Amino acid sequence: MKVYVVDNGGQWTHREWRVLRNLDVDVKIVPNTTPFDDLKDLDGLVLSGGSPSVATDAEAMGNNGEYLDKATFPILGICAGMQFMCEHFGGELGPADEPEYSTVELHIDDHDCIFRGIPSDITVWASHNDEVKVPPQGFKVIASSPSCKVEAVRCLDRPIFGVQFHPEVEHTEYGEQLFLNFLEIVKEHKA
Amino acid sequence: MFDAERFVNEQVGKIAETVKGKAIIACSGGVDSMVAAVLASRAIGDRLLAVYVDSGFMRKGETDEVRGMFEDMGLNFKVVDAADVFFGALAGVTDPEQKRKIIGEKFIRVFEKEAKEFGAETLVQGTIAPDWIESGDGVRDTIKSHHNVGGLPKDMGMTLCEPLWDLYKDEVRQVARYLGVKASERQPFPGPGLAVRCLGECTPENIEIVREACFIVEDEIKKASEAGKMDLPWQYFAALLPSRSVGVQGDRRAYGRTIVIRAVSSTDAMTAEFSKIPIDILDKMSRRITNTMKSQVNRVVYDITNKPPATIEWE
Repeated sequence: MKVYVVDNGGQWTHREWRVLRNLDVDVKIVPNTTPFDDLKDLDGLVLSGGSPSVATDAEAMGNNGEYLDKATFPILGICAGMQFMCEHFGGELGPADEPEYSTVELHIDDHDCIFRGIPSDITVWASHNDEVKVPPQGFKVIASSPSCKVEAVRCLDRPIFGVQFHPEVEHTEYGEQLFLNFLEIVKEHKA
Repeated sequence: MFDAERFVNEQVGKIAETVKGKAIIACSGGVDSMVAAVLASRAIGDRLLAVYVDSGFMRKGETDEVRGMFEDMGLNFKVVDAADVFFGALAGVTDPEQKRKIIGEKFIRVFEKEAKEFGAETLVQGTIAPDWIESGDGVRDTIKSHHNVGGLPKDMGMTLCEPLWDLYKDEVRQVARYLGVKASERQPFPGPGLAVRCLGECTPENIEIVREACFIVEDEIKKASEAGKMDLPWQYFAALLPSRSVGVQGDRRAYGRTIVIRAVSSTDAMTAEFSKIPIDILDKMSRRITNTMKSQVNRVVYDITNKPPATIEWE
């Protein structure tokens, strides 16, 4: 299975690479300026987080928009990757009412896709200044925390997912399970 | 999954292929540089010289301990005492990034000199993933310039060889255990050493304060862990704050320094949770520091911040 990680300049981009490599995925980190044509044969894509404030510095997010428009394979957006995804499809972003660093109590409302087999209430780790204020049309919010209403989203008619927290860091509970679930979706989509 | 044996074979082959002449390895005695040293030594044998620089910012007894490790490992090695150079270059410097850049540059100048003497063109370093991630690049913010990456001067006259580039500390430890490297379980210690645990100016006096406090924290935590009172944290140390506070010692006014105790659990240094040290052990450390270091320190605090939003070290 070939799933690449788009580098948006996150502290944990390389952690995403590590988790996927540990799951025996054919994985590579690619800059977000990579043309979509170079990625069109992938089975799935992860859009990493990054330091740019997506709302005010969308340029730093390179070709993420093109990937989201053209890809037919599953995409998982993490942190800034999810924020960009939501804004790209018409959602609204803004500075977080309460920024979250380190532990967050996550409540999961939908166990059908990336949260399969994961308990409804778990502790995850986050690190973000902005948040999704209004999700785009056609997207469903599937997890939240007391300080952030949009912790995870799924697109209703395409295999596109986003998480505000960081499943790739060691301290997040069930982080690897979330990646396994995403890979399962990638496999189902491929078949 | 990460496979230490496969990794060793790949890297030894790669080093043998790319390093044709002689090389020196920048070796602090920590697990990263010791593993890199063993890999390089397996690849090029006697064409490798390990260079340990005593910057003046090492922990109590560290230089002797590292010398002993080199002897056990049978490596070609050289210990360079450069404390005067480092203290001189850091006089009056308080900005953390400036400190790190100066230290990085001074290290390289020492290595250049040693490389020239040995006839080496390659510098092997035990750089691991968090070093280059946090140092920043075209797309990533600079969190802190690790001396071996972001602190490297642009005019460096050596070719770099960094076999551990993609690894995190837990993976380096796996490789170290596979190779039987004695440093495998040593706790992480930053390249700039005590200089980044001494907020404000790094004078020999300030460094001596933080060195003693670090020793007490390490000693008490190790003892508590051996007695089964707590798990050994991933990293544990003291930092010295530049501010003073008022105290009272034996009916006399005191106006002394503050020591911070820091202890965290982590796997890879990319996220860290502050350790829940039992209160009686914190109490013991506090009393030992303020009693034995009474002329310098009259306050001890415990850092209860995770990474993020803090980092493990204070600078």
